[in-house]
Amino acid sequence: MLVKTNRQLSILTIGVTLVSLAGCSGGSDYPDGYKSRFVYSDRTDSLMGEAQNGIGDLPGVKKLVDDRFGDPQKLNAWLKLPIDFGGVTGELAETPDASVAVEELTLSFDGEVTKDGDKPLLLQFVTGKAAPSIVFVSNWLAEGGKASLTAAMDVPPAAGDQVVVNGGGVLAHGRGLYMRHCSHCHGTSGDGKGPTAEYLVPRPRDYRHGVFKFTSTDAQSKVSRDDLYRILRNGVPGTYMPSFVPMLQEDELVAVIEYVRFLAMRGEFERKLVNELASDYSEAALQSRKESGESRKDIVEELKEFLTDDMQDSLAFVSDDLAESWDTANSEDALIVPDCSRIEDSIASRRIGRELYLSKTLNCADCHGISAKGNGPQTTIYEKNPITSELYPDPGLHDVWDNVNQPRNLTQGIYRGGRRPVDLFRRIHAGIKGSRMPSFKKVLKHEEIWHIVNYVLSVPFNAEPGHAPVAVPDEPAATAAL
Amino acid sequence: MATVTPAIESHSDNHAHEHDQHHEIGFIWKYVFSTDHKVIGIQFLVTTLLMLMVGGALALGVRWQLAFPWGNMPILGKIFTGEGGQISPEFYTMLFTMHASVMIFLVIIPVLAGAFGNFLIPLQIGADDMAFPILNMLSYWFMWPAMACFGISFIAGGATAGPAAGWTSYPLLSALVNAAPGSGAAQTWWLFGLTTVGVSSMMGSVNYMTTIINMRAPGMTMFRMPLTIWSMFITAILQAFALPVLTAAGFMLLTDRLMGTCFFIPAGIIVNNAEPTVGGGQPLLWQHLFWFYSHPAVYIMLLPAMGMVSDMLACMCRKPVFGYKPMVYSMSAIAGLGFIVWGHHMFTSGMNPALGMTFMTSTMMIALPSAIKTFNWIGTIWGGQVRFNTVMLNCTGFVAMFIVGGLSGIFMAAVPVDIYFHDTYFIVAHFHYILFGSTLFGVFAAIHFWFPKMFGRLMNDTVGKWHFALTFIGFNGTFFPMHLLGIAGMPRRYADPYLHPYLEHLLPMNQFMTCAAILMGFAQFLLLGNFAYSIFMGKKVGRNPWGANGLEWSAPSPPGHGNFDVPPVCYRGPYEYSSPEAKALGQDFILQTEPPVDISKIAENGDRNVH
Amino acid sequence: MKKFWALFFFFWPAVAIWCCLIAPANGWWFPGKAMSPLGERIDGLFYLILGIVIVVFIGTQFAIGYVLWKGATKPEDESATFSHGSHSLELIWTIVPSFVLVFIALYQMDVWAEFRVQSYYPEQTQEDGPKMEVTARQFEWRIRYPSAGEQLKNQPQPGDLYAVNEIHVPTGRPVKFNLRTDDVQHAFFAPQLRVKQDAVAGLIIPVWFEIPVAGEYDLVCAELCGWGHYKMRATIVAEPQAQVDEYLARLQGEQNFDGVVEDADK
Repeated sequence: MLVKTNRQLSILTIGVTLVSLAGCSGGSDYPDGYKSRFVYSDRTDSLMGEAQNGIGDLPGVKKLVDDRFGDPQKLNAWLKLPIDFGGVTGELAETPDASVAVEELTLSFDGEVTKDGDKPLLLQFVTGKAAPSIVFVSNWLAEGGKASLTAAMDVPPAAGDQVVVNGGGVLAHGRGLYMRHCSHCHGTSGDGKGPTAEYLVPRPRDYRHGVFKFTSTDAQSKVSRDDLYRILRNGVPGTYMPSFVPMLQEDELVAVIEYVRFLAMRGEFERKLVNELASDYSEAALQSRKESGESRKDIVEELKEFLTDDMQDSLAFVSDDLAESWDTANSEDALIVPDCSRIEDSIASRRIGRELYLSKTLNCADCHGISAKGNGPQTTIYEKNPITSELYPDPGLHDVWDNVNQPRNLTQGIYRGGRRPVDLFRRIHAGIKGSRMPSFKKVLKHEEIWHIVNYVLSVPFNAEPGHAPVAVPDEPAATAAL
Repeated sequence: MATVTPAIESHSDNHAHEHDQHHEIGFIWKYVFSTDHKVIGIQFLVTTLLMLMVGGALALGVRWQLAFPWGNMPILGKIFTGEGGQISPEFYTMLFTMHASVMIFLVIIPVLAGAFGNFLIPLQIGADDMAFPILNMLSYWFMWPAMACFGISFIAGGATAGPAAGWTSYPLLSALVNAAPGSGAAQTWWLFGLTTVGVSSMMGSVNYMTTIINMRAPGMTMFRMPLTIWSMFITAILQAFALPVLTAAGFMLLTDRLMGTCFFIPAGIIVNNAEPTVGGGQPLLWQHLFWFYSHPAVYIMLLPAMGMVSDMLACMCRKPVFGYKPMVYSMSAIAGLGFIVWGHHMFTSGMNPALGMTFMTSTMMIALPSAIKTFNWIGTIWGGQVRFNTVMLNCTGFVAMFIVGGLSGIFMAAVPVDIYFHDTYFIVAHFHYILFGSTLFGVFAAIHFWFPKMFGRLMNDTVGKWHFALTFIGFNGTFFPMHLLGIAGMPRRYADPYLHPYLEHLLPMNQFMTCAAILMGFAQFLLLGNFAYSIFMGKKVGRNPWGANGLEWSAPSPPGHGNFDVPPVCYRGPYEYSSPEAKALGQDFILQTEPPVDISKIAENGDRNVH
Repeated sequence: MKKFWALFFFFWPAVAIWCCLIAPANGWWFPGKAMSPLGERIDGLFYLILGIVIVVFIGTQFAIGYVLWKGATKPEDESATFSHGSHSLELIWTIVPSFVLVFIALYQMDVWAEFRVQSYYPEQTQEDGPKMEVTARQFEWRIRYPSAGEQLKNQPQPGDLYAVNEIHVPTGRPVKFNLRTDDVQHAFFAPQLRVKQDAVAGLIIPVWFEIPVAGEYDLVCAELCGWGHYKMRATIVAEPQAQVDEYLARLQGEQNFDGVVEDADK
């Protein structure tokens, strides 16, 4: 008999019980505790090994990215980037006496700092000898700026050292929300390859190009925070991107937006770094160089020199560009504002719009079709991937993410980037970034754009675009019985 | 009065003569593709017990997500490496869809009809085997293609997406391949599995009806049959009439998905930016067809357990079933009424509201026979010399849980109240109390009760009691709070209900429920261990370890080929425990095959039993 | 041990009842009282059935415990009561429950009729017609209002106003709207209002409710519609008619915004 006595049996079953209950309390790390990880892009993986992982002490692409952005559990705040990491910045007002253990600091902050009950404040040194250490403040007196630490500091700081308190809060909050709401489509790294993504048409956005389609900014600019807010507020009709209001509160929306920008900048940074190295140090380039006689050892030496001498400049160039472009996107200069009010909607205006639509210079019908059903001749041709020069497997236009780019069927009345006249204006003026809808700002005056907008808005209601009367008769539709 | 000559002569006599001329059949034909109903019954039992663990594991996945939303899921989370073990939403839909599908089609229906129906029917009516043994064998082996189809559907859409439309598979979610991303091939395989399992059930039902009508032992009139047989008989009729409708609906859905028909698809629907549908169909048609089967199906999943529990209660309390004929009539009423209540699953569906009124009335009526049966079970226990063993405890658990399940059903039968409760956890609580709290506890009891007949050994009673206690506590801890969750308005099938502020505060309750569920899950290993161990090392017993009355207890344990060494003749009803005849024999039971006893001898000799 | 098990079956219903008694205080109960007149009647019905059910539950569970106890304390040598049943008991416990059940069934027919039968809808909704069209789609709620002064038509009109996940309705009067779906089946479930109606592809279903008290109410989906079923969250904002009109006017302004503003405010 396996279990001889009642007593043994009791112990066995109680043991089972305890295990079950203990197992329940163990999973208390949710929702911020999931150990996810960032992935590197395919292009990074196409570099030769030394370029990816570095040579000796010289960091490769992967380490360069990780140093600046961290991993999801421990995000790094690269202060150069225009991301609101949260927290309040300040500096050390007095140099503490280094002969005794440093347990008290005198700080002055740029904003108000309050302590939340018993919870200690997280203080991080950004500059100076003590950087980047983190200490905890158990007691904070705003008057006089006295902070008592929970433990003595290892390295004594000096006056003028920059500090930040509760920094990274916004980003950590955003990350938690992102993992809960967004990652299953957009992926942990913002690559648009979450588990749900492969089944969706259109695919979720891959942020890593740094390109977003529906913006209010001009053709060269990046997406602004307001644009991202609009997407979250209104969703993208006609796709699986829903509206996240009222699901998310205002502060949550702000946090998610910052995290998405963080992911976009990370991806773009990685992409640009790879661009610096790809032509000479990708696997494909390595093969062709070896075939033309160079030895691998020489190529690795060359890479080593590049990493030692030129990498710093490349890094500076890439990151300056990144920081600036993302920053200016939020400014008023980048915003597209029509120079005249919308021309009043009338049949005459729509006719002009229709003529422009069919004109040879604009050639809208080439993609959108003569009846504006999105079935123009461009949708049937086979085109080549501009980077690899290989034919795409599917016919039709492709966007910068290599997905089929279906021109909009304007008769449906679904406007993904918003249905306001100004939204349509901006689509035509700046184009839809990343897609094959080009910018028409060079060939169209703003009045002409308004005519086209009037025409487009009328298309769902008119049997013959630009000619028929306004309202459509109400057809009876099937209703529930009784 | 009962007649002694049966309609068709039982050929167990002929069989006895043929034994010596019987050729030796190989291992495969004896144990694998056996046509012996007992082997087939045990095959069903073992298979369904394994499937029980699979279905239970899927449920634990659901419970984990509800307790730790988007947390790292053990084992299953390994599929989602990039996300650190966080499952995707469509994976969650697959979890609850397959949990229900496996439990309903691969566990509950086969264990009741396939395992116990097969094993018990010939034995309890005194036949040597089923009417169609080869058909019987096929009905078991058709389960394997069904299991294969369901198994393939897990992975057909990729590792992270499976059938995603719930076990109810409503179109358009199930009809349009694009509507449930990732479940294109998976849903199709699921439908194939459904059809195959229906074929298996149909085969069984034909067999049971024929056997029960035609092959009863001499003296076994309809009203001397044990309630187990009555329940199996009525269940078989339910299967026969209801299944074809599901099969037809399943075919229509398959052709909608694969061949461009539009039985359930209206015109002009665009999903996932695919082409607009051509249309002409109605989604509600599926609901009517599906529930026309699935409502009788829930009685298919209940009646056999009811019958078996009646048998077991009578035996363990040493007295007849209280109100045998009302029990029979109640089961028939449940079955009959069961065909006209399907619309109570569709009150909010948008069907004609007048139907709501009619279905509400019929649904209220069906509560009545269930209530009658409950009172009769309590009456059976009343005044009994109760043996508090595993069998009795599980049966009492059945009755107690059935009361809860039945009473919660009344809320939903009232249409205006159902408006609020439909598709909330209140419904989940209700059907789990019936399917698990009642049926499965009845199955646990039946396993312990008929194990000696199957294997000639006893299962360990102490382990059995521990299994009962832990399962009972875990079960109630998991499912009773679901009533409260339903009242709080927590909808079903939500991967993350706490996104909604009005549900946020329910998280601790859900965590408690998950702990109880894990406890319940682990407790089942006690049953499996007990079962497996006892087959080889259990205490050996003779023909009638429980002192029961049924014909099966007059056969050897386990019965050999042909079942009975002495052809049985039935002289009385199945529940004559503690009757004067029994007392005349100095027992508290008397086998149905025992010839009539002269009770006048008691009056003469004095009652040998001291009162 | 026998008595232990008999007590076990007394104990667990007591725990269950205790659990229900502490439930409302812990918030494991309705999400507030019903905020619509029809909802209040549904709640009343619920409590009526709850009362009946509690009585039956206590009665039957006590009976089980009692007969078990009697069975446990029966002397070993006493045989069981040899009884096949009781005709009169059968009659009693058939007739009494059937009366109770028929009563419950008939008692609430009118609530159902008012909720779902169009000819029983409040007159005001028949006169006003539907105020808006609520379209459920994977995985959000899209609302279409007619422009000010117009009637809602089944086909979208040029002047229609669009919103997402936010429904504004006037308080204090019955409001009817058309419920439809763009793709698969969804269900309109407003828990505080006790309203639920499936949205079926190919059908336009008129639904009505009345909200006396201004406030924000939840709207969630209650029919499995895919992987995003759990996140179809919207808000029903009930406010005085004047504020609803203001909202619609604002919506119209936003919808016609052409980007040119006097103050540079986006």
